[in-house]
Amino acid sequence: MKVLILSVFHPDLVRGGAQLVARELFEGLKQVPGVAPVLLASTDRSLPALYKAGACITGFDGRPDEFLFLTNEMDPWWHKCSDPRLVEAYAAFLEQVRPDVVHFHHFMTFGIELLTLTRRVRPACRIVFTFHEFLAICAADGHMVRTTDGSLCDHATPVRCHQCFPAIPPERFFLRAAYFQAHLAAVDVFTVPSRFMRAPFIRWGLPAERLVHVPNGQDKPPDAETPQAPRARRARFGFFGQLVDAKGVWLLLQAVDLLRAEGFVDFSVEINGDNLRYASEARRAEVERFVVAELDRPAAERIVTFNGPYHPARIGERMARVDWCVMPSVWWESFGLVISEAWMCGRPVIAPDVGGPAERVTHGRDGLLFRFADARALAETIRRAATEPGLWDRIAAGIAPPPPRAAMVAGFRALYAAASDQSGEVTTATRGGGPNRSRSSAAGIGRQKR
Amino acid sequence: MNGAEQEAPADFDEAMYLQLNPDVAGAVAGGALASGREHYLRYGARESRRYLPASGETYEPVVIAMATIRPDGSRAPLPTAFGMEAVRMSPGGGVFVNGWIDDASDPLAELRVEGEGWAADLVPVSLARTRRRDVEQKLGSAARHPYGFWSFLDLGRVVPRNASCRVMLRLESGAGVTLTAGVRAVPDADLRDAVLGWLAGADHFGDPYSAAVTCLDGGAGAQIVAHNRRLTAGIVANPFVARFGPQGGKPRGSLVVCLYGRPEFLFVQNALFAGLPGMEEYELIYVCNSPELNDRLLRDARIASLIHGTRQTLVLLPGNAGFGAANNAGVAHARSDRVVALNPDVVPRQKDWARRHTEAVELLPPERTALFGVPLYYEDGSLMHGGMYFDIDSVPVERGGSLVRRDLVRVEHYGKGAPAGDERFARARPVPAVTGAFMSVRRDWFERLGGFSEDFVFGHYEDADLCLRSLSAGTPAWLHDIRLWHLEGKGGTRSLASEGASFVNRWQFSSTWAASLREGLLGPVPTHPLLAAP
Repeated sequence: MKVLILSVFHPDLVRGGAQLVARELFEGLKQVPGVAPVLLASTDRSLPALYKAGACITGFDGRPDEFLFLTNEMDPWWHKCSDPRLVEAYAAFLEQVRPDVVHFHHFMTFGIELLTLTRRVRPACRIVFTFHEFLAICAADGHMVRTTDGSLCDHATPVRCHQCFPAIPPERFFLRAAYFQAHLAAVDVFTVPSRFMRAPFIRWGLPAERLVHVPNGQDKPPDAETPQAPRARRARFGFFGQLVDAKGVWLLLQAVDLLRAEGFVDFSVEINGDNLRYASEARRAEVERFVVAELDRPAAERIVTFNGPYHPARIGERMARVDWCVMPSVWWESFGLVISEAWMCGRPVIAPDVGGPAERVTHGRDGLLFRFADARALAETIRRAATEPGLWDRIAAGIAPPPPRAAMVAGFRALYAAASDQSGEVTTATRGGGPNRSRSSAAGIGRQKR
Repeated sequence: MNGAEQEAPADFDEAMYLQLNPDVAGAVAGGALASGREHYLRYGARESRRYLPASGETYEPVVIAMATIRPDGSRAPLPTAFGMEAVRMSPGGGVFVNGWIDDASDPLAELRVEGEGWAADLVPVSLARTRRRDVEQKLGSAARHPYGFWSFLDLGRVVPRNASCRVMLRLESGAGVTLTAGVRAVPDADLRDAVLGWLAGADHFGDPYSAAVTCLDGGAGAQIVAHNRRLTAGIVANPFVARFGPQGGKPRGSLVVCLYGRPEFLFVQNALFAGLPGMEEYELIYVCNSPELNDRLLRDARIASLIHGTRQTLVLLPGNAGFGAANNAGVAHARSDRVVALNPDVVPRQKDWARRHTEAVELLPPERTALFGVPLYYEDGSLMHGGMYFDIDSVPVERGGSLVRRDLVRVEHYGKGAPAGDERFARARPVPAVTGAFMSVRRDWFERLGGFSEDFVFGHYEDADLCLRSLSAGTPAWLHDIRLWHLEGKGGTRSLASEGASFVNRWQFSSTWAASLREGLLGPVPTHPLLAAP
């Protein structure tokens, strides 16, 4: 069985959770007898020399079965490919690779219309699509957080979306949804890494029977077992991730300010990550002001340390420096790979009480949950974590191993099962899609809701 | 013409020369010299005087010389006060003049403009009067008198560039003034838009709509329509046509979509129409009224046909030909016997709409499908369109010093905003008209009717006009229950030119049809025999 995995960016070129999962899957499938995976990962212009003259798809650094899709500018609203040559090159690539399964890890940077093209070029192949956030539903970076007040959104309608983007009229959101759904109609099976994500997508119009929960899985980083001395106090907290608004580092810093103002200073916070340049202007300024103020303090009075970026394979070293992993995200968080990473390193997690974290973390057993987007609640949780005797040991002992790579691979393989590993032919009895199936019109999805 | 004049530079501009050399202008005005050109040839060239503005320098046309003469050539007193503000001409023969004159007690009788090879008195052709608060203030006048005037003339032919022209203003008393005015050359479309903007933006005593109608009735309407028609004809004369996707066989229907300003509708409609049952028998024809989008559309059409396998044609126009002419250009490249005028923001609500459409065309009595529309819905599910009917607003307009009744037609949609479940407006029936957002017409019938009218500026009323011509020819428009979305929005802020166009279009439509509509075609329940329920 030949499986083509499309990854939004290559994780060795552009960091991000979706590409990390795609690569884990690719590496995992390589271990499965009878399965031949191929990775096609997009890239961006950060390394322009990779864009060889006249090329649309190239190999990647001599690695077998890994290819780069040299994407150009992408329409951030329609997520449409703007270059006919890229479309033609992808069609030719499909003909060359002849996959039995095409597994999309996102449409971003590729163009959502490649789903429909895949169906046309390989009518009998099985198309699997994994959602890593809600970008198909939500124009606000797919976070489903209302731009009006930062509250969580649980369903999109033209008027609700128009409220978030008053300059864009309601009918544009209707058309965007219809357009996305028309292309997603080419997909046989959709997957989400957390169960809670099913509800918004089903309400949006995707068929429940074709929307499957497959948790992200990854193997332990090589340094996960970094040894450390026993500690009496567990008051070291760590943030791991991008310094963008949605990841909420600003909320953590607000919590630190609150605690300091109350005179509680006997704890430390280490910030690991970068890309503050992608934060909003206001949040970037807020974080930068904090950094300056912190550096102005005498060393003994500093609580927060900024460690900069880290390589995913070396996360164990950074985790070993803290007791708790704080995940202050201010969106739903589709899964929370950092939760898995913390757990693989034996670190309890402090996370918001919504979405992926709430689904994975059991408050008081294997982590602590705090009220979503509430700096005061986060501050109180940090104080408790730092001061309550025995809490860390009890919760650390309650941590169960997160899903390993093999479990995720097995989950996806079950969805690929309808594809033959020999001929590429599938039976119509087992195939959900195909060239002659009745396509639900995008408009029809809206009609069902009425 | 003497030998010296023959040696004047080809780009010599009389008006500009006089403006750049005020001493010469004074000499010409005083009669010491016949023209700036004469001065240039005799002295100016030797003195290296400029006759063209320096790079980046701009100028406004101004009155540059004047003499007071009577028609018989004798001198007459100047009008009390006046101002010629602009004379603009386009290569296609449009002439736009505006200014003001204090003629409250001695009315303007003649506004004669003469250029190279043409001359016209604009008063009988199209003289519109407007209120000028600035002039009222300047004159200290409290009189309710429209001091402003403007006129638009379509010469009906291409004319060489006129650097200047002679303008003669004559009052009823015989007093007058003859001016040499600089002419600003502007492209045809810009001149049309300027005139439309002037129409919509002018100040008036009383209701602006009625005042605009008075202006249009005074001749400006006919001139604007004629100019726009010629402009449009030039735009659609030689389109660039590109075809994509499979081209074999004869499609069952041709969806003709006119694009303006928004290229994304091409790939969105491709995505939402392609692959639906029965759609494989249809072709898409996109006509682009926005030449700046051409490259993007060529790319997107190529991609869309790769992605969906759709058969489509791009008809690219070098300018905005408006809805009627653009659709006619699209139909000219259709390969089927059935054309469907389709708005870019119309997409299927019923996934089997194409199959239903084909069945309607094939199975229903032909007189019911010669021209038909469908119910269209807003994205909120409520009805946007269930056929159209007509009503009339009567407004008082000034004519010859008195008020007369003028009928302006209003087009209304049946059931606009009705709940989705309200079947009254979706049922099959003959209707006075259907919207051009979705209008299915047998091609030979479309052609026999002459296609969409090209008398309307940019677009509006072409659909109702075609339906009324069909009805006049004995076949009413029908509505059949095939449902699509029409994602019509509030629309952006309209330019003054667009406002002016809407004035012209309603005036044009009303002038054409108001009298006929009084014969049983008014109101939501018209009594016309061809519209009786079957």
